[in-house]
Amino acid sequence: MRVDVREEPVLLTSEPAATVAAGPATDAGPGRRRRWRALLRGRGLVGLVLLALLVLAGLLAPWLAPYPPNEQIPGANLLRPGPAHLLGTDHVNRDVFSRTLYGIRTDLVIVFVAVPIGAVIGTLAALLGTVVGFVDVALQRTFDVLLAFPTLIFAIGLTAVVGPGALTVIIVIAVLETPIFARLLRSSILKVRSLPYVETAEAIGAGRPWVLRRHILPNAAEPLGVQLALSLSLAVFVESAMSFLGIGVRPPQPSLGSLIADGIDYVDSNLGFVLGPLVVVVILVLSLQLIAQGLGATRRVNR
Amino acid sequence: MVRYLLRRLPSAVAVLFAASVLIFAVLRVVPGDPASTLAGPDATPETIAAIRHDLGLDQPVIAQYLGWLGHVLTNDWGRSYLIGGQIADLVTAGLTNTLVLTGAALLLAIVGSVVAALLWVGVSSRALDAALTGFNTVALALPTFVTGVILVLVFGLLLPILPTGGVPPNGFLADPDIAVQYLILPAVCLALPASAGLTRFLAESLRTELAAPYVTTARAAGVSPRRLLVAHALPAALPTYLTALGIQAGSLLGGAVLVEAVFSWPGLGQLAAQAIDRRDYPVVQILLLLSVGVFVVIQLSTDLVHAYLDPRVRIGGLTCVLMSARSRCC
Repeated sequence: MRVDVREEPVLLTSEPAATVAAGPATDAGPGRRRRWRALLRGRGLVGLVLLALLVLAGLLAPWLAPYPPNEQIPGANLLRPGPAHLLGTDHVNRDVFSRTLYGIRTDLVIVFVAVPIGAVIGTLAALLGTVVGFVDVALQRTFDVLLAFPTLIFAIGLTAVVGPGALTVIIVIAVLETPIFARLLRSSILKVRSLPYVETAEAIGAGRPWVLRRHILPNAAEPLGVQLALSLSLAVFVESAMSFLGIGVRPPQPSLGSLIADGIDYVDSNLGFVLGPLVVVVILVLSLQLIAQGLGATRRVNR
Repeated sequence: MVRYLLRRLPSAVAVLFAASVLIFAVLRVVPGDPASTLAGPDATPETIAAIRHDLGLDQPVIAQYLGWLGHVLTNDWGRSYLIGGQIADLVTAGLTNTLVLTGAALLLAIVGSVVAALLWVGVSSRALDAALTGFNTVALALPTFVTGVILVLVFGLLLPILPTGGVPPNGFLADPDIAVQYLILPAVCLALPASAGLTRFLAESLRTELAAPYVTTARAAGVSPRRLLVAHALPAALPTYLTALGIQAGSLLGGAVLVEAVFSWPGLGQLAAQAIDRRDYPVVQILLLLSVGVFVVIQLSTDLVHAYLDPRVRIGGLTCVLMSARSRCC
């Protein structure tokens, strides 16, 4: 009996879906592809290009960097930017340009590991919560307590427990992102769940897992793309802020935040020391924000 | 109002209680034994045991928690092992500096956002619109410490007219005009993102109000556009603005940690960073609890102000208003 019930909506729902896809979207293809294509215009494109350049710089750091990141060059103390050292050298004779490249690498690894972890856990929590009632209550109260801490206070507290380091930064970011994604997906599932077409599917007799997977999730997951870009930019901020405070990535490993923190003490001798990593952080954060705006604009166009 | 307060109080207390358990429990599982750290590497087992007894670490965990909670509630915060001095003194000194900084930033954010939002909505000029949109995007996107570093660079190297670090040497009250000079850069740095967020929020709700039927009625009755904005739309938009302000005030406290580091401002953030660096857990515990306490109080008071301004909240609860605005509830 149940099998029959589940089979039926396939026919009923695939038909209107096909007409929708073929209907208004003839020139731009199906909805999902159209969304990505619109990202390749305007602000989204600018953001993508900037991000791609930084990712390349990070990936190719070992080949692009003229010096190993931790090599101390004899006699090169706090040199100003010049042809030999594009951003000059630091207080212990290391090449700032090379360290900045490796710093991009550190930041990108941390951010692209931590945010997906948070997003996946948050998504699972939201799904579990919307299916099992008492889990929902427990999760929401837990998130209330978690969100009661301002971001950096929470980071400081967790660092006190785990000790500073790259892994701590990853944990902090993942824990921060979990409630954000869980809340977002939860509210968007609740919104979609009350729409007429879901009620129709339920009235026809579709099973809950089916309705959730086939009808609710594809639509409810839409805001997650924008959130992902925003979360990545927040994560860059958390990483660089923690390293700046001295509770993030441990020296001598370079990270953008610790480079800025070191550089600001030597503004008078080598301005490039602080400006280089500072400009990189600004570009990184802005590019992700632009991508988020591009995706957000696309979403509004789709509506 | 009292009834509303009584209804909101239990959840606030519950969040505080849960946070206190969490903070206490989490700092107990920290690797490393404070007693042996304190005793030093050459201490005999007897000395370590004595210190452990002094610190109360030999008691059951629940007794330790209740003892700690009792001390915190009776204002006896104990001594800092590693930084030195009474925790209460350290915290009071830091708290004063942090409150001055966040208070100034909050004031700047309120003035800035109300003026900018009124201009944005009231004056129709493409140039102004573009300028405000661009400025807002950048102010919201840039991490606080990046704007801080930029301010330090600009005012330290190019325009050395303002001090770029430290607190006024004679305190805040002795020479108010010197104190203001010290305060300007850190407060502006802290206020920028909050101000940008609030501007966007207020402008949005002003536009919503201006589209409401009662404004159309007033416009038809001949009320001037400026009066429509300032006397009709603004008061109606204020309650939700205040809620947003409460949320921003909480995040200002978090941002203060960074701003204090950039401008060497000896506030709670600096104290926290120092305490972590030296693994001074009693100090960290108090600071975390304090920050949650402040956050809960801010939330509660914004809810109360909101309830005072908007009777619907008093009767149905905030969520109800927000929900009923969208679809159904109550």
